[in-house]
Amino acid sequence: MPPDTMIETAGASRAAIELIDIRKAFGSAGGETTYAVDRMSLAIRAGEFFTFLGPSGCGKTTTLRMIAGFEEPTSGRLLLDGKEVTGVPAHQRNVNTVFQSYALFPHLNVGENVGFGLSVKGVAKDEIRQRVKAALESVHMAHAIDRKPSALSGGQQQRVALARALINRPSVLLLDEPFGALDLKLRREMQMEVKEMQRKLGITFIFVTHDQEEALTMSDRIAVMNNGVVQQVGGPADIYERPANRFTAGFIGDMNLIDARVVAHDSDRLTVDAAGGRFDLPSTLPLQPGDPCTLAIRPEALHFVEGEAGGRVRFSGAVSEAVYIGTDTVYSLTLADGARLNARVRNGDGQPMPRTGAPGTLACAPSAIRLLTQ
Amino acid sequence: MTAARRGNLMTLALLAPSLLSAVLLLVIPILIVIAFSFAEQDTYGGARFGFTLTSYRELFQTIYLPIFTNSLQLAAVSTIVCLLVGYPIAYFIALRAGRYAGLLLALLLIPFWIDFIVRMSAWMVLLGRGGTINSALLGLGLIEQPIRMIGTYPAVLVGMLYAFLPTTVLPIHAALNGLDKRLLEAADDLGATPLQSFWRVTFPLSLPGVMAAILFVFVPAMGVYAIPVLLGGGKSIILGNLIVQLFLDFRNIPLGAAVSVVLLAISSVIIVCYMRVLRSVEEART
Repeated sequence: MPPDTMIETAGASRAAIELIDIRKAFGSAGGETTYAVDRMSLAIRAGEFFTFLGPSGCGKTTTLRMIAGFEEPTSGRLLLDGKEVTGVPAHQRNVNTVFQSYALFPHLNVGENVGFGLSVKGVAKDEIRQRVKAALESVHMAHAIDRKPSALSGGQQQRVALARALINRPSVLLLDEPFGALDLKLRREMQMEVKEMQRKLGITFIFVTHDQEEALTMSDRIAVMNNGVVQQVGGPADIYERPANRFTAGFIGDMNLIDARVVAHDSDRLTVDAAGGRFDLPSTLPLQPGDPCTLAIRPEALHFVEGEAGGRVRFSGAVSEAVYIGTDTVYSLTLADGARLNARVRNGDGQPMPRTGAPGTLACAPSAIRLLTQ
Repeated sequence: MTAARRGNLMTLALLAPSLLSAVLLLVIPILIVIAFSFAEQDTYGGARFGFTLTSYRELFQTIYLPIFTNSLQLAAVSTIVCLLVGYPIAYFIALRAGRYAGLLLALLLIPFWIDFIVRMSAWMVLLGRGGTINSALLGLGLIEQPIRMIGTYPAVLVGMLYAFLPTTVLPIHAALNGLDKRLLEAADDLGATPLQSFWRVTFPLSLPGVMAAILFVFVPAMGVYAIPVLLGGGKSIILGNLIVQLFLDFRNIPLGAAVSVVLLAISSVIIVCYMRVLRSVEEART
């Protein structure tokens, strides 16, 4: 971004992209319009690695396609670098995309593919050649400049697609599940490389994925989406440790979700009934006695105790399953009311390790339990 | 006898009907024509089998040369006209027509269920001196004298276009229909205007279809007979009517056969060249 436009937008906000009350209708069933994206308002900061995370069909790709300009929102406004771009075609937006399928031109070689964006803008041939070379070097693909895309592996095509987008120096780079087709090892490699590249270039990256681990490791901030609605926006630690609702809690990582009911309410404490027991937990949620709520507990926060567990919350039941997974063993405890509680216990650190079928008691610190409305 | 051997025999047995008909109806007739081209003409308009190059020597005399160039020119111009009209139609059906694509393709093909001569007669009625177009224009007062259309070169081209439009549109449509639409999005994303997208992505990727269309129009257009006769009045002699004249009017069977063989040779050369080009295009892509 040239410095003068930076000053222009810096006054109002340092947002690279602003989505204001965006809706995208995709059909109507029984007279009611359904929305692929519903009432989305978000500001993505310049230089940020921002991820849309959610299951397939949650509207994350539609959101990306609206930012790219392939689709127009049904209502709402879209601001790019502080300027309204609603209605501006994709080729006039300073945004580039790395497609899920790579979408490399099969009739052009690698160098021509990477140089495509510069060539259509009428950049001089010499400059194109130099910049293509540099772009390919930055993704370690300079050796393949004369090859056809079909002669490259998936990972190599991915690198070329990245170079083809970045050579145009976009203010925002969009990545639509770019590692979906790669095997696990290559995916890890590419994740590190892309993250590193983003840090070096300082370009805003908007990433779309359904892989929560990928989202957690790469992003500065994550928007968790479900059914076209943003559930929560926050940093990886926020999302993981302080999920805002049952969906986010269940979607990010493994989580025990236990139905509960409020019995008593104090200024900063709630007493709830759950799984046949009564628990007194710190919480400031605006809940009244009788309201339903959910207890969310990470499996790794639970461990087995024998006898008294001073100050900790205890769940008693029968061990119904024990699955050895290397460093840890995942136990499943069936509670009095039939609910199941999973605990991930480190192997061989002196904790009691009950057998399947034996009675057991799991405990955790009250602060490890997160109370969610509903 | 092994199972593989039995499998081979089975394959041969199943192929026998088509092999037999191909040999009887295609290979043998061509061999007969080739044999006639080396035969000698007898006094009564028959042919005496033998081996003489008389017919070929006669063929390469200067009076026949313009007929070959006429035919090549008509085929070339017809192919160009067909491409200019057919490409936009194929493009529209493949990329813009949406759910009407199937209907449009059907509309394009339905007239071809009607006999060829009937369709050409319809054009004669349309283009004739007192025909539908002239009476309509006269009736509207747009012209004072009927325009002479039938018997002109443009009328022949109209007929050629009409006859070969489906064979132009179908292969181009197939190529465009198979085009990955995400490539167009990628071009758009990289800053290409719609026109740049077309010339740099859509058109190059539709070239195999265009080349197939050229083959499907040019080769049959070389040997076309009825259209120039019916719509052009048969005034300029081309290979198709030359062959008919030599066989039926001049009773010079060996010479007619020789012209046919040369036409076959030219077509074969074009097809071989086409295959070569197609293969190199495919190779360049991988």
